[in-house]
Amino acid sequence: MGVTVLLPYQIPEGKTGAQAIDYLTKRLLALGAIHTGQFLVDCETYISTPQHGPAKTVHVLHDSEYPASTFSILDNGAGKQIPLVADNLFDLLMLKMTTVYTSKKQTKIESKGARFEYGDFLIKLGSVTMQENFKGILIEIEYRPCVVLSFCWEMIRETLQGFLGMPIAKEYPAYFSQQIMNPMGQQQIHPKQNDLYEPIDTINQYLECFTNYRKQNVLPVASSVGVGAGAGGVAVTTQNATAGMQGGNQRMRM
Amino acid sequence: MEKLNSTLGAVRSLRSSVRQCFEHLADGTNAELGEDSRTKFLLKFQENFSNMNAQLREVESLINGLQAPQTPYCLGQTTYLAQETAPERQALYSQLVNSYKWIDKVHDHSFLAFNNLNQNNLRRSYTYCSQKRVRIPFASCNNTDPDHTDKLLSEINLPLTSYQVCRPFGSNVVVIVTISRVLKAAIVCKGVLIEWVTVKGFDETLDPDDLWTESRYEVFRKVQEHTHIAMLHFFSPTLPDLAIKSYMTWLNSYSKLFLEACKRCGKFVSNGLPPTWRDLRTLEPFHEECRNC
Ligand SMILES: [Zn+2]
Repeated sequence: MGVTVLLPYQIPEGKTGAQAIDYLTKRLLALGAIHTGQFLVDCETYISTPQHGPAKTVHVLHDSEYPASTFSILDNGAGKQIPLVADNLFDLLMLKMTTVYTSKKQTKIESKGARFEYGDFLIKLGSVTMQENFKGILIEIEYRPCVVLSFCWEMIRETLQGFLGMPIAKEYPAYFSQQIMNPMGQQQIHPKQNDLYEPIDTINQYLECFTNYRKQNVLPVASSVGVGAGAGGVAVTTQNATAGMQGGNQRMRM
Repeated sequence: MEKLNSTLGAVRSLRSSVRQCFEHLADGTNAELGEDSRTKFLLKFQENFSNMNAQLREVESLINGLQAPQTPYCLGQTTYLAQETAPERQALYSQLVNSYKWIDKVHDHSFLAFNNLNQNNLRRSYTYCSQKRVRIPFASCNNTDPDHTDKLLSEINLPLTSYQVCRPFGSNVVVIVTISRVLKAAIVCKGVLIEWVTVKGFDETLDPDDLWTESRYEVFRKVQEHTHIAMLHFFSPTLPDLAIKSYMTWLNSYSKLFLEACKRCGKFVSNGLPPTWRDLRTLEPFHEECRNC
């Protein structure tokens, strides 16, 4: 288990998601990476029923890299998040709790695709889908021997640049310099890049990205004539065009 | 010690002259040669006898001059052999003494060989031992007392590194070195000579009872190979303390294993690996394939 960086990939203009994945796969194999199977990360969100006080949210995630664990993050609605790592029985427990927490089935989201090994690097090219709809590409890169991001960020950056063929900012990824609440109740920047990395950090990054994709549930108007975005119904909902993922303007059946 | 030696020598010569005297007596005289040979025999016997007397007196005086040793001789762990009850194993002590003598001889010979080989100019590595350095009195490095090893290790104090000393194999030391939050290494020593090094990742377990499993990460398996190269390079039986200190300094340079780019190609990653080699003198980082060109 080592440091993992999750990166939404901006699909180049005029390419479909499948074409982009194909392109990245070819570049990875050319670099010397070895294809080592598939992976899947999924996320389901449950919301507390109104009669139980202010709305709380529970996100339940699975990661094929940790097949025996179920990760859950409880959001109390006031900006505080409580992570919990349990074994797979936790899923059955959630089924029993339908009176308290109901699942928002329509927001079930997942990222799946191929898994590659390059030296001690683990690289995953994930296609994100929600309700069968293609939402974008998430690239996960893990450097397994190292447990502190600030030690190996340059290595990860160089490898990413190597197969993406585009420059990556020198700064640490946003997730690693988060605002946190200190014990005095004040906001402060916590330099997470010097902490020991843990599996829950990967899950948190996925949740962050998934939440961003869900926000663009209502697709912005396609600015260019993308391959799958020609469907007429899309153009109606321009008001919600938030400046989020540019990759989101591609729509495709997987 | 010298007195004891000369006393033992005197006892030996006494025994030999007693033996000579009795041999002479047992030979007897030749009856055919008559009176003349008989007086000769008597004279010879008297001479032998007076010799014996003189030597006996010498032994007695030497013994009187001996003092009892103030402290009992330290036999180390061989004293435990006295507690051995199984009869077939009581002969171990003499075997032990024999092998000890043998090892001593091996030391002497190898030391002479070392001196001779060092005068050879066709060296491939740049270890250079001057003649002056070789003449430093030779200290046995295979058998050092545990206190010396402890003291030596406590003197090594490098940044970002912690040492944990344990002795799972009797008096020989296994040092678990943790370098920054990058790697762990187990150094197995015999006396103060390094015999084996195992390198693992910071998040892997390194148990003194299991020193032979390799790391699951390619990078640390590579680093382990390099630590073995360095182990042979820094090996110096004449200056074991300096050897172990230089080795530790070299090993400490891995605290920046993931942080430093290769000095030759300027890149961090090559073939999926960071620069795993550290130059033995300058401690500069290199990829394995960039190291020799
Ligand atoms: Zn290089």
